[in-house]
Amino acid sequence: MERLPAFELKRPTSLAQAIEWLAATPEARAIAGGTDLVPNLRDGIGAPPVLVDLSRVPGFDAYEIRTAGARIGAGVTLARLASDAGVAAALPAVSAAAASIAGPGHRSVATVGGNLCVDTRCVYYNQSEWWRKSNGYCLKHLGDTCHVAPTGTRCHAAYQGDLAPALIACGASVELAGPRGTRTIALEDLYRDDGLAHLALEPGELVVAVAVPAQPRGAMSAYRKARARGAIDFPLAGVAVRLAVDDGRIAAIDVALTGTNSRPFRLAGTAAWVGRAVDDGLLAELGKAVQKQVSPMRTTVTQSNWRRQVASVEAQRLVRDLAKVAS
Amino acid sequence: MNPEAKRLPPAKSVGVRQPLVDGVEKVTGAARYTADLAPRGALVGAILRSPVAHARIRGVDTSRARAMPGVRAVVTGEDCAIPYGVIPIAQNEFPLARDRVRYCGEPLAAVAADDAATAQAALAAIELDLEPLPAYFDAKSARAEGAVQLHEGKPGNLERAVEQTFGDVDGGFAKADLVREHAFHYAEVNHAMMEPNAAVAHWDAERGRLTLHSVTQVPYYVHLALARCLQLDESAIRVVKPFVGGGFGHRTETLNFEVIAGLLARAAGGTVRLELSREETFLTHRGRPETDVRMKIGLTKTGAITAIEAEVVQRGGAYAGYGLVTILYAGALLHAIYRVPASRYHGFRVYSNTPPNGAMRGHGSVDVRHAFETMLDTMAGELGLDPFAVRRANLIDAPHRTINDLQVNSCGLGECLDIVERRSGWRERRGKLPRGRGLGMACSHYVSGSAKPVHWTGEPHAVINLKLDFDGGITVLTGASDIGQGSSTLISQAVAEVLRLPMSRLTVFANDSVVTPKDNGSYSSRVSFMVGNAAIRAADEMKRVLVAAAARRLEVSPDDVEWNGEHCRVAGTDRELGYRDVVTEALRDAGTITVKGTWSTPPETQGGSFRGAAVGTSAGFSYAAEVVEVEVDEDTGMVRVVQVWVAHDCGRAINPLAVEGQVQGSVWMGMGQALCEETQYLDGLHVRANLLDYRMPTIVESPPIDTSIVEAPDPNGPFGAKEAGEGSLSAFLPALTNAIADAIGLRLDELPASPDRVLEAIVARRRAERVRRTAKAAAQEAD
Repeated sequence: MERLPAFELKRPTSLAQAIEWLAATPEARAIAGGTDLVPNLRDGIGAPPVLVDLSRVPGFDAYEIRTAGARIGAGVTLARLASDAGVAAALPAVSAAAASIAGPGHRSVATVGGNLCVDTRCVYYNQSEWWRKSNGYCLKHLGDTCHVAPTGTRCHAAYQGDLAPALIACGASVELAGPRGTRTIALEDLYRDDGLAHLALEPGELVVAVAVPAQPRGAMSAYRKARARGAIDFPLAGVAVRLAVDDGRIAAIDVALTGTNSRPFRLAGTAAWVGRAVDDGLLAELGKAVQKQVSPMRTTVTQSNWRRQVASVEAQRLVRDLAKVAS
Repeated sequence: MNPEAKRLPPAKSVGVRQPLVDGVEKVTGAARYTADLAPRGALVGAILRSPVAHARIRGVDTSRARAMPGVRAVVTGEDCAIPYGVIPIAQNEFPLARDRVRYCGEPLAAVAADDAATAQAALAAIELDLEPLPAYFDAKSARAEGAVQLHEGKPGNLERAVEQTFGDVDGGFAKADLVREHAFHYAEVNHAMMEPNAAVAHWDAERGRLTLHSVTQVPYYVHLALARCLQLDESAIRVVKPFVGGGFGHRTETLNFEVIAGLLARAAGGTVRLELSREETFLTHRGRPETDVRMKIGLTKTGAITAIEAEVVQRGGAYAGYGLVTILYAGALLHAIYRVPASRYHGFRVYSNTPPNGAMRGHGSVDVRHAFETMLDTMAGELGLDPFAVRRANLIDAPHRTINDLQVNSCGLGECLDIVERRSGWRERRGKLPRGRGLGMACSHYVSGSAKPVHWTGEPHAVINLKLDFDGGITVLTGASDIGQGSSTLISQAVAEVLRLPMSRLTVFANDSVVTPKDNGSYSSRVSFMVGNAAIRAADEMKRVLVAAAARRLEVSPDDVEWNGEHCRVAGTDRELGYRDVVTEALRDAGTITVKGTWSTPPETQGGSFRGAAVGTSAGFSYAAEVVEVEVDEDTGMVRVVQVWVAHDCGRAINPLAVEGQVQGSVWMGMGQALCEETQYLDGLHVRANLLDYRMPTIVESPPIDTSIVEAPDPNGPFGAKEAGEGSLSAFLPALTNAIADAIGLRLDELPASPDRVLEAIVARRRAERVRRTAKAAAQEAD
């Protein structure tokens, strides 16, 4: 960890001003809790001349939970989200994901927007400037080779945010605001499977809030993350499931994953399981589908095959446990 | 005389749960550590580190850096041509590499500048011309034929080969009812102490004197290395150890940044603050080496050891450091825990292009203890014996001299075993737990200081000075380095106990070479034992002076004075004298009183006469037994430590509170190595030089630790005490893996038992079982 590079700190008091300042300087970065950005800056990853502090933007940290759905401001801290009884009741997966992130100190300042936009990570990238330089840099930063897959042309850094899969499973969308106005997109569409540019944000565009629709009747959700230690660590694989069971049959099932690819993603093919009972056969199919759709690479110090297997195991356990609660 | 004092009973300090004397400063944040000490205006130091693992240095061009405004000094290997090293016969490290760099991260140059930004810019302006050489990241390739030698005169990159045979080994194996041999692999681990490295060096240009504040555990060794490398008279150097945030062995030798800070301060003619990042602290390394152990043990049907043979290969990193001591410890401490009638040891310490290894808590003994205790466990199973029974079949009955000439004068291991067996419910619960849950046990031991110091001077092992002045306060002057383990508190307790004074009369002043007596440092668990003994002797001397003064004042013979600390009296009478009156009498004519106590290990504890015999010797051995309960998730490979029961024989708990803390810390550190900690290099670059990827357990993983103190007093120990800070570390690792074996019947051949390794082993076992079943079915069909 080196000292922070010099930068100008802008403190806008309106969303419009924030966007204007971000758009005015292409290398400017937005900062809220700073728990992701600051360590990277200290490691010499980027030297933005301008940081735009979002903490004074009115309404940025507002949120409401209603039966009709929830709207969570991007500036809401993870600690607040994790301790909110309304979130725990309506969106248990989101609550659990928030509570599992990093440590209490981080959660007290880290925000929803920051966690959704967390940079992708890789053992060749999250190192000091001296380290990366000694290694000839990498595709993600200053170099031209992805050391994880040197023969390929893309960056394989993994997305390791926890909130995204929980929110994706719960059908969330994100409100974005940028120089060209505001738009709302499905949360999974915020992400691209490219470690180098995993966020589908326009220049100067910000995540303003997350909107979660009312959950289907009887739907339950949960989140589990695999990691070597029970605290601090990013997910080596994370799974969120939303499941509704009606009369012993699956009425709806949504599975989303993180930590294994360059983006969080919704497991494809789950609609085929609607109407089926949650039994060993179904769980085996689920496990196989996860194994097939995740693509962990050597981006962590833990073996990628373990991440693949455990993603599958945790997905099966979540569905089984939720089905048990339902019956 | 204070009438209150008269009624005070003589103070009792030993055996009291005494909060640390410097605890208040630490918890309130008032304690100032090295990085807090730089005065305003101090220059900022920074180190340029090698980007490659092995290269010939063709040139280090510093001209651009030197020309930059605000750069006050630039130093390179040219500025120090004298190698240093903690072992006088193995000094081959330069503070800044000369001619060759041998690991990624080795310092090549350093700058001192007005501010951090200038220092960094100056580093970036230094041009390196390095000619790459083949690099070796494991012991096998470093030893391979044709490998380039890292150091001249070390063919095969062998720093030290040890061959030791004691007793009739072949006969022992022939006599055994069961002989087994197995190979194990241990990842390298690091101390990861809380405080990163830092030093503040001040050069007094007028007088040619250097003052260094550093995070060291061994200010005396740092002092010697500074004098050597900077070519200064030792008296022109002052070394101060302020508050230190842990060490665990990382700081038991002079580290390159300490000498670099001195070189920079002298070159700049001022004060230089050199703060290392966490990554740089990891790169300074000195941790436990990557190790391969091949262990062979012979047992009789009743579990008695007939012979052992061990081969240990340690990847020692690029420089000698403590290396030869580590490889000797691994052999020596196969002994002194059980009766071993015959042993053969082959040790190989190998140079490699990785950061130098060194001493780490449980120095040299941890990995071999895991192999040993694991095999005792598996062999007990084969013999149908309980794991406790096998240990009991080999207990040492003190006094006992081992076949490698270690002198064991006290051993409470039997009692340790009884306690953890009972408290864990071993007999009732073992074998009756559901699948996935298991109980495992193991034992360990450690020295209470090396009976022969690494740096032999003929001086006593430990010296304490006590100063008594007009105020009645006694200043305890010690060179013992309190690095959080509580040595200042213990020394204070020892002095107070002898003088029967409350500890509030005492102030410990530690670690300033111009004031405090020389001390070899805090390593090999020597301080409680050695400095504790010196403190007792110093206090005895002070008491003699005070009793003589009291006798004078009371006009009786010193033999008639009954000493009770805050007051004394003529024995058998009610003629009393308060402490302050005694002090006044003692200082009359004499003035301020300074007394001294010294201590050295008894000759019979200093080992045999064979080569390497000094290592492993100790005036007292501590013992520990542990039971670990685990829960293993067979689908993910996750291992959860449910509970730990530990009993540690520390001879006498001078401060039971500190003993418990040390024992729990040892267990916890052992848990880190056993479960999740490891270093890792990619082409020599340390991938895990941060606290996210170097995975020390968090509080979530921390199990309840049921701690019992066993007191088998040692005749040489202060109040009977032995060490408490290291001995219970190594038992944890085998107790854990034995518990995993109990839980799911799986034995890992390597540590740590990280979830990916455990799951891989489980999957491999399933595959093997499938193959076996298929083969069996095919064979039956063929029939």
